[in-house]
Order: sequence, then structure tokens, then C-alpha cells
Amino acid sequence: MSLQATAAADPKDLAASAASREPSRAAVVFAAFARRKIALAALIVLLVIVLACLLAPWVAPYDPSAGEVTDRLQKLGAPGHLLGTDEQGRDILSRVLYGGRLSLLSGVLPVLLASILGGGLGIAAGYFGGWTNTIIMRALDIVFSFPAILLAIGISAALGPGITNIIISATVVFIPPIARIAESAVKEVRKEEFIEAARSSGASALLIIRAHILRNIFAKVFVFATSLIGVCLMVASGLSSLGLGVSPPTPEWGFMLNNLKQLIFINPAVTIVPGAFIFLTSLSLNLVSDALSDALELKR
Amino acid sequence: MASFVWKRILLMIPTLLGVSIVVFLMLKIVPGDPVNAIMPPDASESERALVRAQLGLDKPMAVQYVYWLGNVVQGDLGDSVARRLPVTDMLLPAFKNTLLLTAAAALASFIVALIVGVYSAYRPKSKLASLFNGLSLASIGLPNFWAALILIGVFSVTLGWLPSSGMSKVGGGGFGDTINHLILPAAATALASVGVLTRMVRSTVSGVLQQDYIFALKAKGVRPFTILRHVLRGGMPTILNVTGLQFGALLASSVLVETVFSWPGVGQVIYQAIGQRDFPVVQAGVLFIAVAFVLLNLIVDAVHAAMDPRVRQA
Repeated sequence: MSLQATAAADPKDLAASAASREPSRAAVVFAAFARRKIALAALIVLLVIVLACLLAPWVAPYDPSAGEVTDRLQKLGAPGHLLGTDEQGRDILSRVLYGGRLSLLSGVLPVLLASILGGGLGIAAGYFGGWTNTIIMRALDIVFSFPAILLAIGISAALGPGITNIIISATVVFIPPIARIAESAVKEVRKEEFIEAARSSGASALLIIRAHILRNIFAKVFVFATSLIGVCLMVASGLSSLGLGVSPPTPEWGFMLNNLKQLIFINPAVTIVPGAFIFLTSLSLNLVSDALSDALELKR
Repeated sequence: MASFVWKRILLMIPTLLGVSIVVFLMLKIVPGDPVNAIMPPDASESERALVRAQLGLDKPMAVQYVYWLGNVVQGDLGDSVARRLPVTDMLLPAFKNTLLLTAAAALASFIVALIVGVYSAYRPKSKLASLFNGLSLASIGLPNFWAALILIGVFSVTLGWLPSSGMSKVGGGGFGDTINHLILPAAATALASVGVLTRMVRSTVSGVLQQDYIFALKAKGVRPFTILRHVLRGGMPTILNVTGLQFGALLASSVLVETVFSWPGVGQVIYQAIGQRDFPVVQAGVLFIAVAFVLLNLIVDAVHAAMDPRVRQA
């Protein structure tokens, strides 16, 4: 909490501390983060993957959906095709880079949306308590009583195939866990004396939530949400591998994995590639989020 | 003990109702008018209205839900659109196969987690323990449908030791043949929980190792093996509880693994139904596994309470 208080301090103090070359909070957190070599490495891997996917039109060596028949079924490390080619002679590296854009989007966007919706519900439940709390939290418990991937499959299958529907169903699945974290964090902050002071000086609920609650629960909810991105990526690509995502020839990691599956007896190493990117990304995300949580001293 | 179980069963009813409402609503978010899907395009408006009334679709949503729930409770989950079969007939045999796969996976991850976790708790500073720690952390980010592909690539394609799909060879084999087909899917499914379980066993056991009664045993000069028995006894309620909860998670993750191995379980049925736009089958499959998940949690709680009196009183 003491770190939070510094962050919430008067801007003049912050300016003064910056002038006297005292390290900023961001610098302190980053230094703590960087002490974990493996987390730093994971962050770099993550940045490389994200950048390469975002810049796919410039860095990808080939057109992701145009195959060359003479180049079919190239092995890993074949000249000109670093990660091989598929049954239509399309370059796997190019498809992975282009495909990563949709895959990463379907990992990040649901968590972002669920943080807004689940965070909102959790704050309302935690701040107002009583019946509001009971109704919101019991309703979310019902969603919780499904295994996440199963509920996502059900909703996605009902809505029909498409990446938008995957994003919708993944969002629904991640609302309850985020709401729970937010609710318990709000309940804790609510006991603080500065909330009591704000209330007795006549501040409205909305003002207190905006000025005090949000600021104090943000780090906790944020770190928890980052830990969900890797899970969300796996859920989304899992749904996509069931045929609930993109339609051909659009590249996307989960769908590529499912499509290359039929080649496993012909070209096993290449079959592994799209899944390797899912794994690498989600593992790096978990490592980064874990170290971030330690650096922010959220663990007790 | 009995009153604890009854209380849990009573608490389960609202959960099951909630689950059924969510599954019912899934059918309602299917885009398009269900009547249009079954009627020829040239059917008149009055014919459509007739069919709508026959299906009860003109009634309010709450009434439709009660009818639907009534049928579900009697084991009628509707008919498959693609195969014209009662959904229950398709899902029951598949569910048995899913249970077999999940039970094998749970057993495997329990044994591995117990051995590795206990070792890591006993020798926390050893090289092997930190390797295990890294591996279990990695397995948490591992998509099991991808792990399934790797296992096929290594053990079926490269080494040729184990079959890559199905549940028995052509013409059917015996018990040993089923086990042969079970190993890879069970291993892939188990990977989803073995990391979580190992970490949990390690922290539980290292907690027990710091208890006074373990110090007392050591001071008395009791044999290490006897101490281990005491340690396991102290940690087992927690370990079994988490394993049980992981069983539920495995049930869900088996859905994706089954599709890779063409294992004839609920996941495979759901996968085929998705391809055929056969939504009643998907809906029923989701309901099956969700209800199994809830029941399983109840059983785990009851077993935990039977083993640990502190849970009963809470």
C-alpha cells in the first residue's frame, strides 16, 4: 500500500522527486522485474513475436495465402522456407506471422473486454455489498461452475464459426474470475480510513470509486489479467482448432494447427510449428506476468 | 458427516439449475429462426406458425425452459439434426470413453505429481528440483492439443511404438489393445494438470515437513520411510482434494485432446457436431460434461470431509 500512496501523491512532489533523481516507481518495478533473467528473456521473446506479427506485411518472406505447387511439403529448414511449407506449398513462416495477428488479438481482446466488464461488476459488488453483491456474485458463480473451455465451446458453437464469436465467448468465460479478484480487492480497500474520510466529507460513490478504489485495485487486477492472456490464447486457439474460428485461407495459429494435423505422418516437424508459437507466447506471458506480480509485491 | 453431505447436495441444486439455464440459453443465441431451419423455403406463414406452436416456440421463454428442463430430467435431450438419433444414445457410450480417458489421465498425473512433488519438497535446493520446477511451470502454458500432436509425432510417427488414433485396432482388440490406444491421449490430457498438481504437492509437503511432529519423529530417530508415511498422511487430504478438482478440469481438457486422437468420447462427438452444424448435440455434450463437473466437485468435497474432520465443521 505504501507504494500506492507514493503513486497517488501530489504531482508537485513527483516532479520534485524526479528532479532529485530519485528513481520513479516504474523504474523501481522494472529493476525488480529485470532481476529475474528468465522473465526478461520471456519479455524479449514476447516483444519479438508481437512485433514480427504486427509487421508481417514487411517481414514475412511470402504471401501467406498463395502457395507454389512445386514447393509443396518442404521440410523444416528447407532453402527459402525456414519453417517449411504446407500441402498447398504455402510458406509456414509467412502464415505463422500473418496468423499471429488474429491469434494474438483473440488472446488479448477478450481479456481486455472481460477486465472492463468483470472489473466493473466486481467493483459494484465489492463497493455496494449487500444484495448487489449477492446477485452479481451468485450469477457469476453459475458461469464459474462450467469448465472454462467447455462453456466457450458451447457459446461459440451456438453463435457459429468466426473469430468475433470466439472473442465474445472467451470474454464471457473470463468475466467471473476477473470480477472475483476485483471484488475481493475492493472489499479490502473499502476498509481503509481514507474511504471513510471521503464518505464522511460527502463524496459520492462514483467519485470515491473513481478517485480511490480504481487507483488502489488497478495493479492487482492488471497483473491478474495479464496472467489470463496466455490462458485466453490457448482457449481461443483451441476453439479455432475445433473449426469455430477463421475460414480458409485466412491464417490463424489454432486453425493452422488443426489443418496441418493431417500431415503429421508426412511432415511431423512442420506440423508442430503453429502450436509451438502458441506455447512460446503463452509461456512467455505467464513468466512475465509472474515476475510482474513479484515486482509489484502483490504476493503475500 | 451425513448432514455435511446433505447440505452440499442441497447447495448443488441451485448450481445445477443455473447450469441448465445457461445451457438452455445457448440454444436461444443461435442466430436465425429455428423454424426456418426445418421448414422448406416455400412454406406459407400459417404453416410456419403451426410448426412454431407445435415446438412450443410461441410460448414465453420461461415456459419453454420448464418444458425443456422437464425433458432433460427424463433423459430426453432432443434429437441429432444430422444423424436423426436421440442425442442421449450418442452421448452415453461416448461419455463412458471420456470417463475412461479422464480417469487414466488423473491417475497418471496424480502419480507423477506425487513422486516429483515429494522429491522436490525433500530436496528443494537440488538441480533436479529446479528442473522439475521449470518443467511444471512450462506445462501450465502448454496447450494440450499441441502436446497431443508432439506425442503422436514422437511415439507414433518416429518410433512407431503406439497407435495415433482411435480406441482399438481394426476388427477390435482386447483389453491390452485399448490400453495401448489409451496411453498417448491420457498422457496428453494429463499434461494439462500435472504441473499444477506437482507445484501443489511440493508446497503441501514442504509445509508438513516444517510441522513440529515431524521434528519430533526425526529427533526420536524414526526411519526416514516411516517419516515419509507420516508426511503423506498429513498432506494427503489436501493433495487428494486438489487432484479431485483437477479431475474436473481434465474432463474439460479431454474434449480437445480427443479430437486430435479421434478418441470416441464426448469431445469427438462435439467436434463432429460442430462440423455438421448439429447444435442440439453440442448443447447436450456441454450439459453432460458440466453436470459431471458439478457432481464430481460434490464427491470430492464429501471425500475430503470424510478424510479431514476440520472440513466437516467449517
